[in-house]
Amino acid sequence: MTTELELELKQLIIDTLELEDVTPEDIDPDEPLFVEGLGLDSIDALELGLALQKRYGIQLEADSEETRRHFANLRTLAALVEARRTQ
Amino acid sequence: MNDSPLRQARWRDPDPSRCVGWLPAGRVTLADFQRRIGAWQACLDTLAAPGRCYALHDRDPLAFASALLALWERGDSVLLPADDRPETLAGVDALTQARLGDVPGGHRPGTGAAPRWGTLNAGRTALWLYTSGSTGAAKRIPKSFAQLDAELATHRDLWPLEGRLTISQVSHQHIYGLLFAILRPLGEAAPMAGVLCRYPETLHAWLAALDDTGQAELISAPPPLERLPDTLDWPRVRQRLAAVYSSGAPLPAADGQRAHRLLDAPVRELYGSSETGGIAWRDTHRQDDAWTPLPGVAVRADRDDDHLWLHSPYLDTRDWQRQADRIREAADGRFHLLGRADRIAKVGGKRLSLTAMDCALEAAPGVHRARTVVLPDHSGRLGAIVQLDPADIPVEHGARRRRIAALREPLIRAFEPTVIPRAWRFVETWPVNAQGKLTAERVERLFRDRRDPTQPRWLGVDTPGDAHCRVTLEVPERLAHLAGHFPGRPVVPGVVMVQWASDLAREHLGVTGAFSHLERVKFPQLLLPGERVTLALEWHGDTQRLDFRLTGRHGCHASGRMYFRAGDPP
Repeated sequence: MTTELELELKQLIIDTLELEDVTPEDIDPDEPLFVEGLGLDSIDALELGLALQKRYGIQLEADSEETRRHFANLRTLAALVEARRTQ
Repeated sequence: MNDSPLRQARWRDPDPSRCVGWLPAGRVTLADFQRRIGAWQACLDTLAAPGRCYALHDRDPLAFASALLALWERGDSVLLPADDRPETLAGVDALTQARLGDVPGGHRPGTGAAPRWGTLNAGRTALWLYTSGSTGAAKRIPKSFAQLDAELATHRDLWPLEGRLTISQVSHQHIYGLLFAILRPLGEAAPMAGVLCRYPETLHAWLAALDDTGQAELISAPPPLERLPDTLDWPRVRQRLAAVYSSGAPLPAADGQRAHRLLDAPVRELYGSSETGGIAWRDTHRQDDAWTPLPGVAVRADRDDDHLWLHSPYLDTRDWQRQADRIREAADGRFHLLGRADRIAKVGGKRLSLTAMDCALEAAPGVHRARTVVLPDHSGRLGAIVQLDPADIPVEHGARRRRIAALREPLIRAFEPTVIPRAWRFVETWPVNAQGKLTAERVERLFRDRRDPTQPRWLGVDTPGDAHCRVTLEVPERLAHLAGHFPGRPVVPGVVMVQWASDLAREHLGVTGAFSHLERVKFPQLLLPGERVTLALEWHGDTQRLDFRLTGRHGCHASGRMYFRAGDPP
C-alpha cells in the first residue's frame, strides 16, 4: 500500500530529478533508489537532499552519510520525512 | 631538492607527533602513519619481491596514501583503476601483480610495523592512471616522479598549503584528486582529512570542529559546489576555509559566486587533463572567465581552427602538442576556452568518450544507430538518440520502460551510473537535416519537451510535399496538461492535441495567420502518457484550412479541420 506521503515523495523524486520514463506507479517502495532500481547516483543524492530541505524543512545533520542511508528506498525515505519534517 | 616535494619524502621525518590525518573524532600522527606504511610493506612482502606493479583503489585517503608510499618506498609502481566496477578491475588484473585496497579480492594490511625507506628516482615511473581516449578506449598514462614533482612544486609555489588541512570531495583515482588531495599534503607535510567529505553537512560540521585559527582547503568539483544548500549556518564557519579548488569541468560563474559567498573563500578552478597535466587556472569568484597558464606552460590558438597548442613542462615531450579543446587568446597572455572539438564530454563532472557510449549502444540487438549527446539543458546529463527496427519501437509507457531497461543493462556494467543516458529518443529514421547532418538544432528539437512541459516529445517529421507532413510524437509522462483533467486517470485533453496540431503546422508547413475556428472535431480514443502517435497534417492554402489527424496503436485520438485567418500574424 502506498501512503499519501509516499506518493508525494515519488512525485518529488520524479520532478526534482526530471525523470522521463518513470511514473509514480513505476516506483516500487521497497526497491533501491540508487544504482539498481531507479539508477540514481551521488549527484541525485545531493539534489534530493536540497529538495527535502526546501519542501519539508529537513536539515540533514553532520553525519549525513548516516542520514542518507535513509535514501535507500522510498519507504525509508518516507520514514525519514515523517520523523524529521518541520513543515 | 626544494623543487621535489615528493622526493623530499617528508613522510620520513623524525617528527612522530605531527598530524597527518585529521577527523573531528581524532588524529592520526606521523608515527601512526609510518606504522601503516610498514604494515602495507609487510603485506606486500608476502605477495612478491619488489619491482612489481599493483592495482590500488581505496576511498579512504589515508589508507590510499599509506599504500601508495609503501609501494614507492619498496620499489614497486602503482596502477590506479579509474573506478571500482568489476569490468574496470578485470581490465587491470592482467597488468598488475595483485589488487590492493577496498575492492573485491583487494589485499589489506595487517597491524603496524616499522617502515623501510627506499629511493625515489626522478625518472622512475611512479604510477599509471587512466583517461578516456578520443577513440573510445580508456588510455593508460604513466607519470614519473619528475613529472609529478614538477606539478606539485608549481602548485606549492603558487598556493602554498602552509600546514592547512586538506578536505577532499573528489576521487583520488584521477589526476586532480591525486595531486591536490593526496600528494600535495604528503609533499608539503600538511594534514589531510581522514575520510572523503561527500556531503555539505559533513563539510559544515568539520569546519565547525576546526578552531578559529585552524584553516582548511577544500578540494572539490562542480557537482558538489553547484549543490551547496543555503540552509546550513555557513556564517558560523566563516574564515575556516582558505581556498576552494574545483576541476573536472567548468564551474558556471553563478555557482562559483555562490560557493564563494557561502564558503567565504576564493574559488579557484584548474584546467588540465590526465595526459597534459595542469594547463591553466582562474579565480572563478572574480567573475573573469579568462584562464591564466600555469608558470612554464605556454599556449597558443591554431590560426585555422582555434585548437589549443600546448607547450608544457609536464608533458614528456618538449614539442608543441595539439589539443582537442579550442581557445581564443587574450591580449594579456591569458585565454578563453571555446569548447571541445571532438566527441569527449563532461557528464556530471566525469569525462566520457561519447563515441564509446555510442558504440556500446549500437552493440545492443535491434539498434541501427545511436548518438549520445550532453542534454541541451541545465542537467548536464546524457541523452541518447537511438534508431531502432520499426518493429522494436516502443509505442506505450510500459514497452518504453522495458526497452530502456534492456538498453541500460549492458551500460551499467561498463560505465559509471552518472554517465548512463537519462533521456531516450527512439527514432525510425535518422533525424538528419537536408545536408545529411544531425545538427545541434535537431538535437535541441528532440529534447525540447524537457524545457517546455506543455510540448509533446518530437521524434521526427516526414514532409513528402510542401503542403502535408507526418510528425512522430510521444506524450511525455510529465506533460504539464495531464494533471487534473480526470482525477486518477491522466489523459491528454483534446484542446491540447488541437494546440499541438496548430503549433506543428506553423513549424513544419509554414502556416501563418491567427486561428479562426474548428470543424468536425472528434476525439475517439483517449491519449495516455507514454503513448507514441503520428500527427498527419495537410494544409489547403486556398481556403486557409488545416486537416489534422492524430493516430496511435488503438486508432484515432483526434481529427478535424482548423481554419486560419489569411494574412494575420499568428
